[in-house]
Amino acid sequence: MAERTQLTSISEDNFEQCLKCSICTVYCPVSAVTTAYPGPKQAGPDGERYRLKDPHYYDEALKLCLNCKRCEVACPSGVRVGDIIQKARMKHQGHGPKLRDMMLASTDLVGSMATLVAPIANFTVGLKPVKAVMHSVLGIDKHRTFPAYASTKFETWFRRHAQQEQGRFMRHVSYFHGCYVNYNYPQLGKDLVAVMNALGYGVHLLDKEKCCGVALIANGMYGQARRQAQTNIESMSTSVTRDRRPVITTSSTCTFTMRDEYEHVLGLDTAGVRDSLSLATRYIFNLIDEGKVRLAFRSDYKRHMAYHTACHMQRMGWAIYSIELLRLIPGLQLDVLESQCCGIAGTYGFKRENYETSQAIGSGLFAAVEQADPEVVVTDCETCKWQIEMSTGKRVMNPISVLAEALDLEATAALNK
Amino acid sequence: MVNEEIYNQRYDVIVIGGGATGAGTARDCAMRGLKVLLVEREDFTNGATGRNHGLLHSGARYAVTDGESAAECISENMILRKIARHCVEETDGLFITLPEDDLGYQSTFVEACGRAGIRAEVLDPEEARRLEPSVNPEIIGAVRVPDASVDPFRLTVANVIDAKLHGAQALTYHEVVGLVVNQNRVEGVKLLDHGTGRTIEVHAEVVVNAAGIWGQRLAKLAGVTINMFPAKGALLIFGHRVNKMVINRCRKPANADILVPDDTVCVIGTTSDRVPIDTVDDMRVTDEEVEVLLREGEKLAPALATTRILRAYAGVRPLVAADDDPTGRSISRGIVCLDHEKRDGLAGFVTITGGKMMTYRLMAEEVTDLVCAKLGVTAECRTAITPLPGSEPEAAAETTPRFGRKAAVGRHGTMAHQIMADTMADRALVCECEGVSVAEIKYAIEHQHVNSLLNLRRRTRVGMGTCQGKLCACRAASLMGRLSGNVPQAEAHLGEFLDERWKGVKPIAWGNTLREAQLTATIYQGLCGLDKALARKEDKQ
Amino acid sequence: MRFHTVIVGGGLSGLVAGVTLARTGKRVAIVSSGQSSLHFNGGSLELLGALPDGTAVQRPLEAAASLPEEHPYAKIGVSRLPQLAADAAKLLATVGMPMQGDVSVNHYRLTPMGVAKPAWLTMGDYVTLERPDVLPWNNVLLVNVAGFMDFPVNFVAHGLREMGATVRVEELDVEPLAARRASATEMRAANLAKSLVSGSAVSRLASAINEVAGDNDEVVLMPAVLGLDDDHAVTMLRAQVSKPLHMVATLPPAVPGARLHTTLRHYFQMLGGTYLMGDTVQRGTFEGNRLTGVHTAKLADTVLQADNYVMAGGSFLSRGLMANYERVYEPVLDLDVTAPTDRAQWTRYGVFNQQPYMSFGVSVDRQFHALKGGEPLDNVYAVGSILGGHDPVKMGDGTGVAMLTALAVAQQIIDN
Repeated sequence: MAERTQLTSISEDNFEQCLKCSICTVYCPVSAVTTAYPGPKQAGPDGERYRLKDPHYYDEALKLCLNCKRCEVACPSGVRVGDIIQKARMKHQGHGPKLRDMMLASTDLVGSMATLVAPIANFTVGLKPVKAVMHSVLGIDKHRTFPAYASTKFETWFRRHAQQEQGRFMRHVSYFHGCYVNYNYPQLGKDLVAVMNALGYGVHLLDKEKCCGVALIANGMYGQARRQAQTNIESMSTSVTRDRRPVITTSSTCTFTMRDEYEHVLGLDTAGVRDSLSLATRYIFNLIDEGKVRLAFRSDYKRHMAYHTACHMQRMGWAIYSIELLRLIPGLQLDVLESQCCGIAGTYGFKRENYETSQAIGSGLFAAVEQADPEVVVTDCETCKWQIEMSTGKRVMNPISVLAEALDLEATAALNK
Repeated sequence: MVNEEIYNQRYDVIVIGGGATGAGTARDCAMRGLKVLLVEREDFTNGATGRNHGLLHSGARYAVTDGESAAECISENMILRKIARHCVEETDGLFITLPEDDLGYQSTFVEACGRAGIRAEVLDPEEARRLEPSVNPEIIGAVRVPDASVDPFRLTVANVIDAKLHGAQALTYHEVVGLVVNQNRVEGVKLLDHGTGRTIEVHAEVVVNAAGIWGQRLAKLAGVTINMFPAKGALLIFGHRVNKMVINRCRKPANADILVPDDTVCVIGTTSDRVPIDTVDDMRVTDEEVEVLLREGEKLAPALATTRILRAYAGVRPLVAADDDPTGRSISRGIVCLDHEKRDGLAGFVTITGGKMMTYRLMAEEVTDLVCAKLGVTAECRTAITPLPGSEPEAAAETTPRFGRKAAVGRHGTMAHQIMADTMADRALVCECEGVSVAEIKYAIEHQHVNSLLNLRRRTRVGMGTCQGKLCACRAASLMGRLSGNVPQAEAHLGEFLDERWKGVKPIAWGNTLREAQLTATIYQGLCGLDKALARKEDKQ
Repeated sequence: MRFHTVIVGGGLSGLVAGVTLARTGKRVAIVSSGQSSLHFNGGSLELLGALPDGTAVQRPLEAAASLPEEHPYAKIGVSRLPQLAADAAKLLATVGMPMQGDVSVNHYRLTPMGVAKPAWLTMGDYVTLERPDVLPWNNVLLVNVAGFMDFPVNFVAHGLREMGATVRVEELDVEPLAARRASATEMRAANLAKSLVSGSAVSRLASAINEVAGDNDEVVLMPAVLGLDDDHAVTMLRAQVSKPLHMVATLPPAVPGARLHTTLRHYFQMLGGTYLMGDTVQRGTFEGNRLTGVHTAKLADTVLQADNYVMAGGSFLSRGLMANYERVYEPVLDLDVTAPTDRAQWTRYGVFNQQPYMSFGVSVDRQFHALKGGEPLDNVYAVGSILGGHDPVKMGDGTGVAMLTALAVAQQIIDN
């Protein structure tokens, strides 16, 4: 026998560790605002025992789960409640995704097409009649504004303006930029390149990058998600083993998806890349902590910001890196907001049927932002950014952009030659 | 009907024992038009019926050693699939051969199955691993047989309900403390009502002893002798289903060689040890039994080594000494139906014993035939063709998105229609692990002889899930107190319930099971002070 | 990543130690493997409710003198207890958690089953009694929220009647709480509390209570279904209800305990403390008798280094201790544990009997240095429920041990 008798309980997602203490139910943002969702305990470990007996016990209400994983963070027993729910959806969900869900989920495809016609796309999706059609026909809520598409993709910019000079650095990283940087907000990618270059690191694109697949998973397009995941794992693996370049990112959600969901939900082997895949703030913090790089900040930088810990950031347990990094900025007054879900959860909040739930979930955070009244809200998640900007009117930045703004890049570069 | 009215009737037959056999006998007698009273000293299924594997044997286990039992099993197996659809899950079973076993036994086994009429299909080990991924991957042989799992609680209660639908009466917590004997004829029973402490005489033409292991004591009350050999069997329940099919060892029956998927859990068993008859009321599982069960269980499905155990329990098989052996040492095989008029010159008294939970219906049929012969009734047995309540063919399957409703339909079959969950308050789940709603509890209390939380557990699975009653026991106790108006009793039942759960947890209290126990103690004793509430009651007495 | 002190476990003892250290400006990190067992706390802290033989205790500081030497209070030293208890009460007041209670004599809290149990400090808005068998009121109005099953209202009513009161029970069918019934599973205290935050929701509840309150009712008692994050809603409600109003704890997850936890955590974070929620310390690195760093599941290669480490991971249910088929052990550092090797001696039949496993814990010296391989570690301390030597359920001293050992160790660390 492989295991000695009853030394430990080993079960998928630690589902047997559950003591039914119900603590997870206190921290579920969904059941807090809607009675339609049976709550993480019932949807997760309770339901799982019945689904193991007979799949017919699957409850379609599980689709209301945001996949925020706050149940997992709260669980004192290490049960991967959220993973149990996601996997149940994957295994048992009755019908295929709707057109709307496919559209929302296909960030790569829609992004590529939209970039080609960015001004028109931005203009069109902003039009009232178009919004009305999207609302009623497609079920994309009319209150939502699609993030604007950039006219030049990040990748295009990088190849034209940055790629060439990366070779001159002694040390190198690969950058998984994600769809948001590529199609909607290339500036964050540019900031990342600027900061890493200043630290003495060359930045490179992966051989081939696909959307991490978070939206595909959320919308039930598991086959597509798995194919894209495999491409990403291969590219990252090449970067890590062939090029000896760790992979960094600027999106907490992409990072979380690739580090954890690939393995836990899609069942893929990420062992070769997982430890080498990191959020840029974590990577940079560790470089500083180990004395490998030094930072020089602008002396005139004075801002008041509030840091919002995104759900997946909370789940990864990595907020500490972004916060500690931001705290190094001398002119920055940083409030750390209580971590709570903003309600958008990727594509969830875009769906007409979820709009009210989404905003109700986020109301606590919006109130906290208003109370702190910072100039800027800082977060590592791009969909939180959309939601907070739409719901509070505050400007939202990624910590790397804050760093790019606060650093004296030339002086920093000189320190790290 | 209130108890007083029940006591004052004159019955054709009084059946003693609320296990599957007694309940089945009550049903059969009632269906043949007899006026029946079923009495049980505790709760239904409290004896061997409620303390076994929950295995609907195909008979394969007995094929080599006892062809007659095997044939009975397969015949009853097929009948129960039809008449007790809502109590049976058609899982099929595997008989596996491990490297340490003799593969030669497999052909003996398959031939014997064939003789008994049991479909036995030899599988390639690869195929067996595919069908049942939890099975020990080292198997060198596998045979597929029509084993299934059965819920003995549901099965028994469905028989009681049907008996009542056919005019029978039933009393739980009524213990037979004496027989009314008049000139070599049993004319009734003396009943002690545990609820009131009163003793009552109830009269009948025939009294059926279907008291299982307690039948020996009962016979003694009638002045006749039946020698029983109590054989203790210990089992372990795991927290969730590891296997989809029943897994057996393909060898001569031995300890811990059957793993059964039962409802939301799976059960490994059993051990087999002779125990003194005076210990049968308080069976405790020993550390040695736990060790045997784990050691052998892991060989069937290695995952058991790392699966959380919910509880341990033990039952007593009512094995009977053969009448034809003057030493009293050899055991009767199969069903034992004794006409004490012929055997001992005591009229109006018959005993039905031996057999298996699995063959309860056949046992009931045999003894009812005997009772009918005595009473000159010629009606034929219809129990093999008439579905039990809950298992009637349904016009359209109920489709519902609600978990609690689905779980209730799973438990009560078509009877779930009677569970009135019209209001939100009634749909609320008392037990979240097992999906038991307020409405289901109300239904069970009203229709299924529920006097305490322990009874309720057997009817509805309240408190049978992972946490063994963390919140639900209190919720259910409070609800019962509200319905009965007797709060001290509800609190006492809560205490009893937790103690009964702990009895099952204690032998396997390590790992998550110990964590769970500590949390339960922290809630009920630390936070709530239940121990103090119960002491308060004792102080008053 | 460097800290002055790393605390393993973010429950009551970990937070009390963390707050005490962070207040002196120390850089402290707490690693908490999920939410704490304070969620099973009904709003009271207890110093000592009974002696090991079951004798009820009225004056805990005096009774502590007779405790056996393995009891954590005996290790602290009975003479230090009054000061530590005073410090603990002061700390709670400072973090914004006003409590009722007098350290010299126990009062009694009212449990979710209507039993009076000895307590030391009880949150301001909860029922406290001077005696276990007598109520300060003759006529009690006990209200519950219709359909809320985690408050066995008939048990509570029965308990109050046993203490001589006339009790009226009313069920309130009031929005927005009533809407919660649409969920078959999630009508829980915490979710009700989330519906009772706004002024309008609280006012509706207040008028519903006022409507059923009669002239004879001297007091209104209700389940603790508001005030999850702070006491605003409770204060509003009490101001609007025409009678004195007190909370009674519900079945868990319990709102008062969760509030106590959140309040302590916020204060700790406000002091600049780092609270790593949902991460688990997996192992440590030693140099001789010193722990030099701990590794967590999520920070992976980022080692948490500190001068001092406090083990505050709780008992079995919190996974501070573990048991398997073979042994009882401490899972992070494999510290020495006081527990017999024979599994049969861990438990006893009779669920209400004293259970030996309840008193198992990490071995410590008199300064609460944890022992490993029989030797005390220089910079590793153990506090709270991970300690053995007493049965918190039977003795009613779990939260007291958590707070006082945490304070004792934190002060020792500061003094060093």
